[in-house]
Amino acid sequence: MDEKVLTQHFGLEGLYRIEVYRKKGGYKSAEKALKQMTPAAVLDEVKRASLRGRGGAGFPAGVKWGFVPQNVPKPRYLCVNADEGEPGTFKDRYLINHNPHLLLEGTIIASYAVGIHTAFIYVRGEYEAVALRLEGAVAEAYEKGYLGKNILGSGFDLDATVHRGAGGYICGEETALLESLEGKRGYPRLKPPFPASVGLFQCPTVINNVETLSNIPFIIQNGAEWFIKKGLPKDGGTRIFGVSGMVNKPGIYELPLGTNLRTIIFDHAGGMKDGKKLKAVIPGGMSAPILRADEIDLPMDFDSLASAGSMLGSAAVIVIDSETSILDVLKTVAKFYSHESCGQCTPCRIGTAWISKIVERLARGKGERDDIDAIIRLASNIKGKTLCPLGDAAALPILSICQKFRQELEGDLPRA
Amino acid sequence: MPKIFIDDRGFEVAEGLTVLQAAESVGLQIPHFCYHPAFAPEGSCRMCLVEIEGLPKLELACSALVKEGLKVRTMSPKVVEARKGVLEFLLADHPLDCPICDKAGECKLQDYFEEYGLFRSQFKEAKEKREKKFKLSQNLILDRERCVLCNRCVRFLNVITKTEEAGILNRGTRAEVGIFESELVNNIYSGNLVDICPVGAITNSDFRFQTRVWFLEPSESICPLCSRGCNIYIDSHPGFPRTARARRVYRIRARQNPMVNFHWICDYGRYGYAYLDKGREDRLVWKKGDRETRLSWDKASQILTEKLRSLLELRKHSRIGVVLHTNLTNEELFLADRIFRKGMGVDRLFLADPPPGKGDEFLLTADRTANRRGLQEVGLPVQAPDRRGLSGLDLLLIFGHYLDSETGPADLKDTLDKIETKVLFATHKSSLDSLVDFVIPVPVLAEKSGTLTNVDGRVQTLAAGLAFESDGVPEWRALLDLAKELKVEPEYPWPMTSPASIYRALQEEIAFFK
Repeated sequence: MDEKVLTQHFGLEGLYRIEVYRKKGGYKSAEKALKQMTPAAVLDEVKRASLRGRGGAGFPAGVKWGFVPQNVPKPRYLCVNADEGEPGTFKDRYLINHNPHLLLEGTIIASYAVGIHTAFIYVRGEYEAVALRLEGAVAEAYEKGYLGKNILGSGFDLDATVHRGAGGYICGEETALLESLEGKRGYPRLKPPFPASVGLFQCPTVINNVETLSNIPFIIQNGAEWFIKKGLPKDGGTRIFGVSGMVNKPGIYELPLGTNLRTIIFDHAGGMKDGKKLKAVIPGGMSAPILRADEIDLPMDFDSLASAGSMLGSAAVIVIDSETSILDVLKTVAKFYSHESCGQCTPCRIGTAWISKIVERLARGKGERDDIDAIIRLASNIKGKTLCPLGDAAALPILSICQKFRQELEGDLPRA
Repeated sequence: MPKIFIDDRGFEVAEGLTVLQAAESVGLQIPHFCYHPAFAPEGSCRMCLVEIEGLPKLELACSALVKEGLKVRTMSPKVVEARKGVLEFLLADHPLDCPICDKAGECKLQDYFEEYGLFRSQFKEAKEKREKKFKLSQNLILDRERCVLCNRCVRFLNVITKTEEAGILNRGTRAEVGIFESELVNNIYSGNLVDICPVGAITNSDFRFQTRVWFLEPSESICPLCSRGCNIYIDSHPGFPRTARARRVYRIRARQNPMVNFHWICDYGRYGYAYLDKGREDRLVWKKGDRETRLSWDKASQILTEKLRSLLELRKHSRIGVVLHTNLTNEELFLADRIFRKGMGVDRLFLADPPPGKGDEFLLTADRTANRRGLQEVGLPVQAPDRRGLSGLDLLLIFGHYLDSETGPADLKDTLDKIETKVLFATHKSSLDSLVDFVIPVPVLAEKSGTLTNVDGRVQTLAAGLAFESDGVPEWRALLDLAKELKVEPEYPWPMTSPASIYRALQEEIAFFK
């Protein structure tokens, strides 16, 4: 499939080594950007490419870079968010394991565009192999002059450091990531101010996801128009869909943005495992509201999923078959967010734990008639009222499960 | 001055305020737990969520800034619902042990539930069990079941004392305030954690289970234990003693004054309240040999007047001495100057003060008296009460119980024995009692009206918050009574009958007090 961009050389022996990467044209984009383009021209190209953030929120990357003030006497930082913790999501792990230099090249170009000389790559604590691979790549890049002082003789300096998290889902939230990187407790910050103006160590900071940055070299190499053609006008490029659950071929699939969800599941991922019936799909990582089997005929892009009441998120497609109890799904979701709530704000800290306790009781067969209403009420009191997006990330899938599968959840409950 | 609308009422408020501060500036309360004026907005309790016109979500009143024309709703159905939601969450795991909670009656959680909650609990699950008497410091106990994790205590230790002894440990519903193992919170401002804890999580070990706050009457006062002059509340039982085991003063709290002590006081001032009730002089006595006669102040002042008059008539004013101290008010020091020095011509004026302690760079000063600056500004010349100074006297008036063999001559007893009449005006019993002929109880500063000048030259007013119940008399009253009888009263167009009228004279005479 020649549609592939990010994953086109996956499987190539030793792609993670700098010489193999360079043989495949690697670091040509960085060279082009640093030697032939001004930072403003790089920024403009990325803006025109309509590259939206791949971490979950989908904020246009170029716009984000443009927010960074250039006239303050402070260092600026780039933080690469490789704290991939969203359940169902594993694309960044593949990207780094297979092609760490692609990320580094994107990091160099992004830093050049924004005038950044220090980059931190924050890697999920459990991703030890990923961190080691990255550290190897960073060492090679320094050795070959792609990192450090006067990169490729361009006069541009950049240092990059790999930092491993300590194992908290919340540290994938960009401001909690900054706190954690500063050596503090991983608590999300109150916004505003936004990281672009007050970020790491109180300095202007860009935070980008691994997949977002990995797209940058291709935009510079092939231009914004080419990139948009790979996706949609307001949503350029391909997307790496991570398909998991009851399908025949779980894995990552790099496809154009806007690919139909049904096609992803039944064509690319080989359809339902053992001929089972599809019950539901969580289309964008666990925090995305669930879709019933009859709702999956829709293009996978930010806007289409938003209109369907869900979200593209991290494009992690979790496929649930009809033999899976929806109560088990609810239990998994509730337990996860209760376990991962940082505890800073009241609704998330107590609300997620409370819901989880009710669901556990339901699972023990001790449910009561009004429990589903109670869960909906509690989740509504979390939704939109928390300090960071984790509250919504918990409330939305829980609400959607309760609303869309109420009958099944209430099936065993005593009648009023 | 932007004009904003809170629940449809228009207000002009100061620039740069948050919605919560703006509301408070016009007397409206927006409920909150984590917000505290001493710290940057935290936004974690979510209690202060309000509706701001034009914004889709509820916004934090503690961090949203006011701007011209801002329309805020603090009681809309959406806001009330969110607030109830927060209260429901906080109360779900709360032990509801208000009957034995020392904070009951001044607890934000309790007050807000009464005002904004009043719902039936729908929590059917098992409550989390947590440590209920975790020792946080020598003086503080933490009840983790009552804690709402507002993080005020942690922020106080990070931002104000910068000692960073506490933090939040663990995550989610397991999160709790904690300290390093075997290292207690240890700084002399730790008692403020009780004042800023919005619920009953942090309590004073000396206050636990002692009384109920609604039996206490707060009186506004100035801490006299160093020269900072921190503003305080003294909480006492009116009509003391209420029960057999009750005491008068139960606690001291910080009273906000942005010009002096902000929201804080030191532990020395907070926990050092025992002196208010313990070891006090309570009987006015005249001692002749082994006999002690109890007198009224009227009778005692007659005797003293006679003694002074006979010396003054014989022009023996040089045989009169006066020992002063700097826990006297500006008014009293001024009267001492005008009556003894200017009125009677007495020039043997001495100073005996409690010894200095260790100060710090925040509030506590090394000087452990309340009004040294006042003495300076009144311009009263004083000398050390050494043997030479105290020799050749017939009458010595001693104010304060601070004269001893450290502040005075080593052979204090022998020196004093040579003086015919010694009169002691003291708040507390001391070894001086056995060396003098008259003991006249006087009030402590908390029982007195007047003014004090703090180390930075700020004149602060004291109101007699606690009742002075004994045979004695405040020093200013004693000085005025003696002066009147001896006709050495300073004369002004207004009657000198109260500390306020004396202060008027002070303002007239000394530029500093204008």
